[in-house]
Amino acid sequence: MTLWDLTQGASAKVSRFSASIESGYRTRLSELGFHPGEQISCVMSPSLGAPKLYRVNNTVYSLDDSIASLIEVS
Amino acid sequence: MSSTQVSKIALIGSPNSGKSLLFNRLTGLNQKVANFPGITVDIASGKSADGNNIEYLDFPGVYSLQTISGEEKIAVQAFMSALQDDVLEAVICVVDCTRLEKGLIFALQVLEVCHRYNKPVLIAANMIDILDVHDMHFNAASLSEALKVSVLPVSAKTSAGLAEIPEALAQASVPPASFQSDIIASDESINHLHAQELAEKYGPKGDLLIKAQTRLDSFFLHSWLGGLSFFIIMYLLFQSIFTWAAPVMDGVESIIQWLASVVLPMIPPGVASDFTSDALFGGIGAFLVFVPQIFVLTLVVGMLEDSGYLARAAVICHKPLRFFGLTGKSFIPMLSGVACAIPGIYAARTVESTRKRWLTYLAIPLMPCSARLPVYSLIIAAFIPAQKAFGGLVGWQGLAMFSIYLFGILCALFVTAVVSRSSAELRTDLPFVLEMPPYRLPSWRPLLRNAWNRSKHFVTKAGKVIFAVTVVIWVLGYFPNYGASLGDSWLGSMGRWIEPIFAPFGLDWRYGVAILSSFLAREVFVGTLGTLFGIDSAGEDFTSLAQQIQESGLPLGAGAALLVFFAIALQCVSTLAVLKRETGSWRLPVQLFVSYSIFAYVAALAMFHLVEFLT
Repeated sequence: MTLWDLTQGASAKVSRFSASIESGYRTRLSELGFHPGEQISCVMSPSLGAPKLYRVNNTVYSLDDSIASLIEVS
Repeated sequence: MSSTQVSKIALIGSPNSGKSLLFNRLTGLNQKVANFPGITVDIASGKSADGNNIEYLDFPGVYSLQTISGEEKIAVQAFMSALQDDVLEAVICVVDCTRLEKGLIFALQVLEVCHRYNKPVLIAANMIDILDVHDMHFNAASLSEALKVSVLPVSAKTSAGLAEIPEALAQASVPPASFQSDIIASDESINHLHAQELAEKYGPKGDLLIKAQTRLDSFFLHSWLGGLSFFIIMYLLFQSIFTWAAPVMDGVESIIQWLASVVLPMIPPGVASDFTSDALFGGIGAFLVFVPQIFVLTLVVGMLEDSGYLARAAVICHKPLRFFGLTGKSFIPMLSGVACAIPGIYAARTVESTRKRWLTYLAIPLMPCSARLPVYSLIIAAFIPAQKAFGGLVGWQGLAMFSIYLFGILCALFVTAVVSRSSAELRTDLPFVLEMPPYRLPSWRPLLRNAWNRSKHFVTKAGKVIFAVTVVIWVLGYFPNYGASLGDSWLGSMGRWIEPIFAPFGLDWRYGVAILSSFLAREVFVGTLGTLFGIDSAGEDFTSLAQQIQESGLPLGAGAALLVFFAIALQCVSTLAVLKRETGSWRLPVQLFVSYSIFAYVAALAMFHLVEFLT
């Protein structure tokens, strides 16, 4: 399951990043809190495929499908 | 620190850590504070407001010293070179204490480089007021002990702890070597684990995310309520700059007319009197009338920025913009472009992907900037009746303005959609990850100051160009026959020479001259036309320029063609210069100038024939 598959209100732990994410960007995701083992919840899933809102610690980020579908969660 | 010499102190921190507000509080300067990730794109500096010999340097917010975007690269390079400078006494690293883990990941990197360059560091743990409200605490003393640098809890919002900064700086020490020899080049996960451990031990515990944020997000990002509110907010933005600014504009016009009626009788008839009447009151006066609109627009856009709504607007716009080859992050630069292309081009640095940034550059000059506003207002006032519809809620002129603004935006999207599809290398992209700042009430004072500064800048910078062009045009139009006949003046001869270029849109030579002069800056068009009509009707009453255009019998098709031409053509020397600075070469600005001029000419011609066919 990927982060993009999380429904509104659901949460899961990051298990790993897809190898297709460039290493610089993988580091940035870690710095923002999207780190393997981190608990992420989907706080908002707007309709029409708009980017979803994810909460990590006390911060909310918006990620679109192109990146959220490359982050595996369990 | 020496007490006689000025000490330079660098401020660095992540976006939304409240760094810019802290800088404002420390310096009392008019530095722009915005609630959108990465809005500070230049390094601001200011002397300490409390009279200490301290000069603060505000570096743009970055998430990491390992950069992924053009903007971050500029900021980090500037910070690294400042660290190597002997005059830099210390570094203040601003972290949001409500999100300590994230702040510490960055702070650990800063400590490491400051150790390397032997600079003392003070960690300013900002937003302590939010912890107080939630009755939460964090252990600054123990964190300070663990990190072996000073940690000072502050609140830029309430000014709590700010008075202690100079003393804390004086006592700040160089961070010791960390457990890692080179943290930014090493595995990020070690840094992350260390930050997590520190935040868990000393940071505030509990749910700090304001519930109101989630509630507001579920409204503003709701499938149809969100879309509806987005359109209402954007529509109000346009109404505010046209309908709501009108009384102030009328006031400015009355003052200019009153001044003209007082000053003109004092000057004996002759060259001086004609110059004052036509060039000063006619040319400059016509342009000053539009300053209130620029003020209102800057204020409203700033308000949206500060409230946190703009980040939500980027989320709403992301999917549709992606269709046109852009990203939700292009929305802020493009919206800034509605005020002025120049801040828009600077703001495009926040678009990490080089390709999307270039596409954003293509879009910005087509956004309906405030310099086009005087031209639009003039043409609309000349052709559209000032009547209201729907019980006085909507003015026809406001609606016409909305349409021409929409036309510019659609042109921008059309261009990016075509270009992004025609080039394979423009199709791939960096992913979309955007921090959602908390909603907050805008701080009025910085916003008003910013709007005032923008208006002042517009008057002083654009005003100089406009005055110079106005004087040249007036001299060319007045001599050699002392204003007896404009047709026989030098300008008349030049105008007739270029008349064939603009004649296909039904425009006579006066408009041709005004368009040519507007290639310096769009708003010069109004001043030039004011001067030209002023000279033409010398001795008549001081009627508004719009009325004179109306009376000159300009066909509707020509008016529509003018609007279309101004919506597309890249007549702005400053925009071209800034594009050159940002892209590092003249290639893009020259390409854009030539292609948008041709596009504008062809579209204006098509518009003229369409309107003539329909009417």
